[in-house]
Amino acid sequence: MKRLLLSISVLLCGTAVLFGAETDEQTKAHSEVLDLAGAFQNDGFKLRDGTWYAQASQGHPMVIQVNLYSGNAYWFAVANANSSTGLTVSVFDDHGNPVEVQNYQKDNKAAAGFSPDASGLYYVEVSSSAPAATLFCLIYSYK
Amino acid sequence: MPPLWKWLLPSIIAILLVESSGAQQASDGTSATPASSPLTEAQLKAAIALDSLTVPTPGEFFKAIDKTGKPNWVSQFRPPTPIGGVNRAQMALNLGTLIADGYIAVEAQDGQQVKNIGRDVLALAKKLSVSDSVLARGKSITQFAEDGSWDQLNEELEATQNEVKKALVENRDNDLITLVSIGGWIRGTQVVTGLLVESYNPETAKLLRQPALVGYLRSKLDQLPNKFRQDKLVVKVNADLQNIANLVSFPADHVPTADEVKTLNQATAKLTKEISAGE
Repeated sequence: MKRLLLSISVLLCGTAVLFGAETDEQTKAHSEVLDLAGAFQNDGFKLRDGTWYAQASQGHPMVIQVNLYSGNAYWFAVANANSSTGLTVSVFDDHGNPVEVQNYQKDNKAAAGFSPDASGLYYVEVSSSAPAATLFCLIYSYK
Repeated sequence: MPPLWKWLLPSIIAILLVESSGAQQASDGTSATPASSPLTEAQLKAAIALDSLTVPTPGEFFKAIDKTGKPNWVSQFRPPTPIGGVNRAQMALNLGTLIADGYIAVEAQDGQQVKNIGRDVLALAKKLSVSDSVLARGKSITQFAEDGSWDQLNEELEATQNEVKKALVENRDNDLITLVSIGGWIRGTQVVTGLLVESYNPETAKLLRQPALVGYLRSKLDQLPNKFRQDKLVVKVNADLQNIANLVSFPADHVPTADEVKTLNQATAKLTKEISAGE
């Protein structure tokens, strides 16, 4: 039953994103992550106009594919609406091997900074320390 | 506050933020640099791919090019493309190429060219019934072009592209989004290879490695409904993308030769021409 409710909530959440309507929780998470990304923008990073909302919990991280260019520098930033949830961002190469990143982590916000040596596919993983699934918002910036 | 401080403060905050991250990690005793274990096969397979984040914008591609020298962006302008449109699939593909043209004009810092392309983007968007939502963006593009606000123009172009895609979703035209992205990537690759044909540079050539991206775009094409998948132009695009996928799929340590770049340029130029003509 719990799993069914979770599936329905994820489906509704996805539908809301698809049709452009943000929930209150998404709006809050988006606002929090923009707050973090603002610091990178001040340092010359351009913010991509795209967001990824998903849910992660302890032991159940979420992964997204990104295609990056060598020579560019990137910051992947995440936040959620709950200030007590610890989030972590990690980056992996196209074989799934971890790559060295510069980390930022505080309260409900986290970021990973990275300059790829090779252009191509990378994976960005968002992990959460919260036992229950909580929604997060990921954005990225580049320069 | 003195003007110098106004200018320096954001940078100092950014530096402190990054520096404090190190302190934060140290106090937490955590180290995610690099992450401890590789992703499993299951995680790799389950990884999400989203058009809005997985497909890089032409602006992102061009930003990397800028670091490798002083590209002659003006040389990559093309004559105004017909915006009549054979059908919706062709118009969506063409819209993608036009948005990429907008980024090229911004890189060349040619205000008039930006305004001309902005006008064409709006006209084509109107044909796809998404003009209302992007009209405001069109006005901003004109204003920024007149002011020479190139950084803002880059952001405005990406926002316009997303606005068009959002409007397509609202109009239940989700399938066309893939075609807009494909058009943009093909034209962007034609331009970058065109710059390389003009003046070969190994550092820039390395940027052409994007095997997974073309695979992703082709997988989206395969998911299109029959009416689009069987469209004459879409069939041609899909077949040509297979060939192009081979040209951008090379090991991370390989640097494409001038001849390889030329082959890729010819393939993408042919496809861009076919898209604009609706052949």
